Amino acid sequence: MKSGIFAKTILFGCSAACSLAVSASSPAQDTPRKIEISVKKFAYTPAEITVKKGEPVILVLTTEDVAHGLKFKELNLNAKFEKGKSAELAFTPDKIGDFVGHCSVFCGSGHGSMTLTLHVTE
Amino acid sequence: MRRLSLGSALAVIAVLAGCRASSPSKVERNVMRLTKHTVTVRNKSEKNPLPSTAENIAAGKEAFSHYCVACHGMDGQNTGVPFAESMSPPVPSLQSSEIQSYTDGQLKWVIDNGIEPSGMPASKGILSDEEIWSAVLFIRHLPPAGSLGDPPMYSK
Repeated sequence: MKSGIFAKTILFGCSAACSLAVSASSPAQDTPRKIEISVKKFAYTPAEITVKKGEPVILVLTTEDVAHGLKFKELNLNAKFEKGKSAELAFTPDKIGDFVGHCSVFCGSGHGSMTLTLHVTE
Repeated sequence: MRRLSLGSALAVIAVLAGCRASSPSKVERNVMRLTKHTVTVRNKSEKNPLPSTAENIAAGKEAFSHYCVACHGMDGQNTGVPFAESMSPPVPSLQSSEIQSYTDGQLKWVIDNGIEPSGMPASKGILSDEEIWSAVLFIRHLPPAGSLGDPPMYSK
């Protein structure tokens, strides 16, 4: 009898702990990961980022000089942002690979070589 | 000594005359055209990776408008470009057979590397590969001459 009560107590304790863990982790999984990216002629900092497939992400892009943009043609993503303003690019990568984003607002002589590489891993 | 001085003077005059910006003769034009199409402008066999869709042509028009318009006009046919005819050689209309007879790969090569001797500069790094390929599509689908007005820098 005692052992039955003990087992039930353990079981209850475990299930309570598990439910707490789930309730604590669920919002963290749903909350998109924010990645701050600084942008200026003719570079993104950081120039490479790594995210996981299926993980919601928000790229927070802030320009330090003129208007810029960021376009990933393969992922059908494009953000343009004016001088002095930020933009958020929210997405959930659904395929693995390396994707190169380009500036989508002409910004001068190095515009064509201004890239940000996105690594999407399993 | 006098002969040497005379020879030097003639050589200097010849060089300076060569530097004068004047329209090339028909023979010079034909020789240059043949040379460019068959020897100097490479990348003849490369295909445009972008399909010829309305969206890609519109993207090409936008890429073209960034700075190509300064010499080629909004329409690619020099409309509103004040110096187009006075350059040596003159800025060609991109609608002309001289330009349209290049392959897509050659047009990309010209935009990447420029053409010497002419005013056409190299644009690799200024525009991305995708923008240049889309500009090639736009060049294949130019609007009627004058239909887009003058470049903004000359019309203000």
